[in-house]
This record gives sequence, C-alpha cells and structure tokens, in this order.
Amino acid sequence: MVLNVVEQVGRPVIFWIEDLGALTLQLCAALWRLPRILPVVGTRRRWVTALDQMLSIGVRALPMACTMSLCVGFVLALQGAAELRRFGGLNYVVDLVAVSFTRELGALMTAIAVSGRSASAISAEVGTMVVTEEMDAIRVMGLNPVDFTLAPKYLGALVAVPCLTILSTACGIFAGYVFLAFSIDMSFRIYSHEVFEAILVRDMLLTLIKSVVFATIIVQVGYLEGLRVKGGPEAVGRATTTAVVKSTFLVIVADLAATCLFYVMGWSAVG
Amino acid sequence: MTTSTADLDAVIRVRDVSVSFGPRRVLDRVSLDVYRGEILVLLGGSGSGKTTLLKQVLGLMKPATGSIVVKGVNITSCTRAELEVVRRHMGVAFQAGALFNSLSVQANVALPLQELTELADSTINLITWIKLWMVGLADVAHLYPNELSGGMRKRAAIARAIALDPEILIFDEPSAGLDPIVAAGLDELIVFLKEILGITILVVTHALDSAFRIGDRIAMLYQGNLIAVDGKDRFLSNTHPRIRQFLDRRPDAVGGGEEKFMAAYLRKFQ
Repeated sequence: MVLNVVEQVGRPVIFWIEDLGALTLQLCAALWRLPRILPVVGTRRRWVTALDQMLSIGVRALPMACTMSLCVGFVLALQGAAELRRFGGLNYVVDLVAVSFTRELGALMTAIAVSGRSASAISAEVGTMVVTEEMDAIRVMGLNPVDFTLAPKYLGALVAVPCLTILSTACGIFAGYVFLAFSIDMSFRIYSHEVFEAILVRDMLLTLIKSVVFATIIVQVGYLEGLRVKGGPEAVGRATTTAVVKSTFLVIVADLAATCLFYVMGWSAVG
Repeated sequence: MTTSTADLDAVIRVRDVSVSFGPRRVLDRVSLDVYRGEILVLLGGSGSGKTTLLKQVLGLMKPATGSIVVKGVNITSCTRAELEVVRRHMGVAFQAGALFNSLSVQANVALPLQELTELADSTINLITWIKLWMVGLADVAHLYPNELSGGMRKRAAIARAIALDPEILIFDEPSAGLDPIVAAGLDELIVFLKEILGITILVVTHALDSAFRIGDRIAMLYQGNLIAVDGKDRFLSNTHPRIRQFLDRRPDAVGGGEEKFMAAYLRKFQ
C-alpha cells in the first residue's frame, strides 16, 4: 500500500525532474548558439528566419493577445467598480486596472495567448520534422538542429513576446478607460493622467523580465515536446496538447516564483 | 597486424555491431564492409534490422557493442566535431525524401552549400542548378516539396544529398511507394551517379528487382544477423533457406504454423 503510494507520487516527480533537466540542457544549447542567429555576426541569412518567427509568434498573435487583454481589462474594471462604488472609490478603478496590468495581467495574458498559439505550433512543426526524418536529415548533413530550428524561434520569441506584452498591457488599460468613459463619462485626458500617476517604470521593467522568462518557457517546452514525438501523425497531436498544457502551467508557476522573488528582493512596489 | 587490400578499400567498415531495444536484440554482431566505388545493396524483410544498421552507419544511434569506421574515423567513439566532418563526406536520401517543406526545391538543395561552405551566392545557384539538372528537376526548382510527386521528391532528395559532392551516398528504400517505371528510373539514376561521380553507394531496400538492377554486391539481414554478403550471381545461388524464401517470394506460414502455435500457447498459459 505505502509502496504503491510512493510509486504513484514518485513516477510523476521523476518525469518532472527529467523534464526540468532536459529543458535546462536545451536552454543552455539555445543560449550558446544564439549569437549565430544575429545579423552581421551570425550565419548568413539565419536572422531572416528569426525575423519570420518574430512575425509568426508576435505579429500574428497580436489580435488574439490584445482582444484577450481588452476583455479582461473591461471585466476587471467592471467588477472593481461594482465593489469600489460602495465606498465611493470609483476613481480607484483606474489604479486597479493600470497596476494589475503593468504588474501581472499584461505579461500573463500575453503568455497564455502565445502559449496556446505558439507552443502548439512549435511542437507540431518540430514533431512533424521528427516524423518525416527532417531532423535526421539536418543531423546527417552535419548541421546542428539547434542552430537550424530552435535558436531562430527562441530569438524571435525573446523579441516578440516583450513587445506583445507592452501592447497587450496598453489594450488592457485602454479597456478600463472604455468602461469608465461609458459609466462615469471620464475623459481620456484625465484617465491617462491617472494611469501615469499609478504605474511605475520599475513595474514595467519587472513585467518585461517576466515576459522574457515566459517566452523562454513557451519556446523551450514546445520544442522539447516536439522532439519527443515518436511514431506517426497522431503522436504529433498528443505532443501539441502536452506542449500547451505544460507551457501554460509552467508560465503560471514561473509567474508566482518571479512575483515572490521580486517581493522578497524588495523590487516590487508591494514590498 | 596485417592489412589486406580489401581493408584499405573499405570506406565503411562495420565490426561486430550489436543493438538491443530492451530485451529484443535487433542487430547481433553484424560485420560488413562497403568498398570504395561499389554499390552495396542491403536487403532484408520488415523488422530485419536494416534501418537500425543504417542509423548506426549515419551516427544517429550508437551500438551497444562493436565499431563502425567511416573513412578511417570510428564514429562510435569519435567526438561530435569529428562526426560532423565525417558526415560532410556522406549524402543521404531518406525514404520519404525528408525535404524541408518550408523551403523550395532549389532552397533545399542549396541549404548544405549555404550552411557548410563559404561559396558566393552565384556559385551556389550554379551548383544547385547542375545538381537539379542531373536528377532531371532543373525545371521545377521553384516548386515546394508538397507540390512534387513521390518520385520527384526522391530525386530532389538525391540532388540535396549530392550537393556537397559526397564520397558516400546512402539510400533508404529508394523505390518504396513508387510505380515500377518511376522506380526503374530512380535505379538508373543511382547507377548513373556511381558511374559519373565515382561515389560509393549503400542502398537499403527490400525491393529485389531494384537490388539486382543496381547492386554490385548484395548483403542480407535476417533477424539481426547478416546471413549473406555476395556478388549478384553468388547471392542468387545461395542456399540459405531464408534467402531462398526471399528470392522465391514465399510467405511465412500464417501464425507460424501448428508447432509454433503450441509452443506459444504453452509459454503463455502454463
């Protein structure tokens, strides 16, 4: 009985430790090969691939990320107003929306949107390359698969996700304005003045650091799950599902860890 | 230690290679030489271990025991850098082509040249065109792999495999999934490449007609063991029961026969 419980708990723990080890090694390889993707100093034309990835991960995810932030921003303002109105603090809705988005929601909503879209796309692409022997072809040509597939995606995400986070945060805050404009006829000038009073540059910088961490998680998890594909096309389907679930879960855990770290270090305004 | 002439000419030397997946032994002390300038065809039925042996030769898997020496480098114990250098002397045409679907045929063939040489773009374009012309695809260079037929995809894969003028060319099931006319055309192309480029060629296949059309020597794997390596005529007169069965295209008894059924039943339920 006890042995059975230990087995039941131990097996997933071992899998998670294996995952973390594999992700760490893969991340080190990606960081090591990243300079080869840069323009001028890198391999010729490889940066064009990274640019394509920026478009794919960033620009094409823009409508989804911004729409999600607009919705969440509006809901947050609406729910906040319902409570704050009772205390005559409707003006604090501006602070609530602005601070929530700059510290947390902007980066988190963007990461969830990118995770759903790009982690699945990366794992499907890499998984298909494994199934169709394209990965083997890269290796036997004497090329490094990290240079060819992972590093451009990683560089693309490192640029695209923070940019997307800024735009998504702006959308969330704008949604708060839309709500207040309709409900209490607040002008945009007053709203923007209140927003700039509420947010701190430090918060924005910490959010950007978080978004870099989230981008790392999404790309590395998507790639690793793709590489693990064995068998046929149905295995690719399973890999995409696993990639989205794992990357979304890890993004939320990393968000908690980063927020705690910032708090403990005294970098967060809350501390 | 004496060295025979045959040893000197062996471009690929496989010695006592064994591979197991769990309890199942896929290759059992396989030894095989591929000599410079020849076409060696590795025959075998499904599950005989020929793809596993191919992956060992390409350095994609490491054997449990034994050694594989390619162009004088033991790829089972060399560094990754040494393996990459060896691989640059090898071209591989995979079963399904393994072309990059996001790149045009031209870009697929140009890829190794762009990545592994310092050649100018104009030179790369010229070499790419020549390789595509050799395989008869110069006119469709702008198409993408998903716009090509199965035979054309295999030809494009061959063009990419010979882009860097390799000394060794390896084919995995070149005629699989092709109609007889296209398969015969591909066989002609393989012989043509050997004659004009002097490349050493290893072909892994289970297609008998193709094997006898292109092969200088024929090897056969059965249940992880190499049961014959001979010239075509000697191979045809080989009396090994499995080779006779393979050449005569006789099927295995369904279920393995009454005796095998009883043995399996007793193992399972006693």
